Amino acid sequence: MNPSLLFSQILNGIVTGMLYALMGIGLSIITGILNIPNFAHGALFALGAYLIYTVIQALGNFWLALAVAPLGVALLGLLIEYAGIRPLYRAGHDYQLLLTFGLSLIITEGIIVVWGPIGMSQLPPALLRGGVDLGITIYPKYRLFVMAMAGLLVLGAWLFLEKTRYGAIMRAGIEDKEMVSLLGIDIHRLFTAAFGLGAYLAGISGALTAPIRGLNPLMGVDMLGIAFVVVALGGLGNLPGAIVAGLMIGVAQSLVALVWPEASVAVIFAVMAAVLLVRPQGLFGIR
Amino acid sequence: MSRAWIAILAAVVLLPMLVRHAIATEIWIFAIFGLGLNLLLGYTGLLSFGQATFFGSAAYVGGYLLKHGGVNVLLVLALGIVVGAVSAAAVGYLCVQRSGLYFIMLTFALNQMFYFTAYQWTSVTGGEDGMPGIPRPAFLGLRLSEPLAYYVFVAACFVIALGIMKRVVESPLGKILQAIRENEVRAQAIGYDARRFKLLAFVIGGAFSGLAGVLYAMLFGIVPLEAIGFVFSGNVVFGTLIGGSGSLYGPVIGAFVFIWLSESVSVIWQRWPLLLGVAFVIVVLFFRGGLVEAWDRLATWWSVRRLRGVAET
Repeated sequence: MNPSLLFSQILNGIVTGMLYALMGIGLSIITGILNIPNFAHGALFALGAYLIYTVIQALGNFWLALAVAPLGVALLGLLIEYAGIRPLYRAGHDYQLLLTFGLSLIITEGIIVVWGPIGMSQLPPALLRGGVDLGITIYPKYRLFVMAMAGLLVLGAWLFLEKTRYGAIMRAGIEDKEMVSLLGIDIHRLFTAAFGLGAYLAGISGALTAPIRGLNPLMGVDMLGIAFVVVALGGLGNLPGAIVAGLMIGVAQSLVALVWPEASVAVIFAVMAAVLLVRPQGLFGIR
Repeated sequence: MSRAWIAILAAVVLLPMLVRHAIATEIWIFAIFGLGLNLLLGYTGLLSFGQATFFGSAAYVGGYLLKHGGVNVLLVLALGIVVGAVSAAAVGYLCVQRSGLYFIMLTFALNQMFYFTAYQWTSVTGGEDGMPGIPRPAFLGLRLSEPLAYYVFVAACFVIALGIMKRVVESPLGKILQAIRENEVRAQAIGYDARRFKLLAFVIGGAFSGLAGVLYAMLFGIVPLEAIGFVFSGNVVFGTLIGGSGSLYGPVIGAFVFIWLSESVSVIWQRWPLLLGVAFVIVVLFFRGGLVEAWDRLATWWSVRRLRGVAET
């Protein structure tokens, strides 16, 4: 096999793997705090991609759009928690889960209504078009940027969760909600903030993905299953776990795409099944 | 014969007079699908978000055999049940290793694996276009190609399935599953291997899904890709919760509501899943007690109105 092709596929795998990790971390924060799998997480990802497309159309500036679009998704996340999830605390998890499922249908179909059912493409910003010569291969600049950006976001999420007071409260909330509220912390505000933060990470993952893979209404559904895999393998609220799991399935996917492109998505789930057969508790165990 | 059975037999007889035969048939198919899920959701306390895996797999296998083999209908149904049970055993084995949130996410993720396999395996499944041209061969002189004859056939399958499920949930096995739902640690301590029983519930539920899947393929003459997709899995969870997961008959009521709801929104607008999503949200936010609660509220509202009317006169 051509080594330069192999090398650039591995790099591709790292780029998508970092985006998977970001999705997984966002999902993990929401899931860990609220105790429900957020079925709208994929739809929020797709919305991030479509919002950045529209903001670029309107303002003509990629960087501004990259700042604004994920905030829009985060705002929607806050709203979903405040108006949808919160009234359902007493009703139980099944209903909250159905709510997020209904919302994912609404957002996905809403995207088709607003932007149309046909896929679209988005160019990277002028600064990041073209490739860089890495010696073995020439690699697109924009993908390198995404790799760095996703790395920074993961680092930011880690610093926030591990080093700030609010992050500590959030981690404590994942461990034991009752204890946190007994300490006099407004647990509801914590939930809303967690949903907003998770939605922000989904939105920015989508926004960063748009120039790589283009946009189509079902991009979110595909991503949702992958985010679940990352959390199932990496563990809830486990950042290193999410990164390892994300990179593992990202690289596996792009390597399989070289030899058997049709199986490249199914392999993500096959890897998960294989890992769980050997380690039912996931890569790093569960709490 | 209990009142519930009389009501169900009456519904079986009356339904084809009230709605189109295809819709009436679809309701019973969805009810069989819901019965299988509810063994997991209602009786064992396991929220499986991947039931379409078994439904769709059986639909594809059954559809393929009917299309290419000209096989006996009963044999195809039996095979569909086996496919449903075996795929559920494979998926269930992985899923029961974990519990709670992880369990739900695993059922969903494995559903996606089957979905993408069906999506890419176009030579067999037809991919996005679905697998069309599935015939309904005659069975014991009953010409199933006639809509009403097929309705009778499906309704009979449903009644048998309901009878079997009633036996299952009232058997010692059913009690063990409920014990696991109430307190898994304790059930384990008494000496029941909780994982094995959860897996068994999966297999039985998968068999019901498989039966429903083959009947579905025969009803529409096509297996659409959606039959194995996660929205289908979500729909059956929704239907079952709305009907009430607490009783044997809940999913049957849920099937009525869900099929009626989706049929009525699908004629309004091409983007009907959006309306369905809105309906999900409204029902969950305001009518989550299921139909029974909605009825109570309506009755209260009505009597308050009447009392006001009396007070004013």
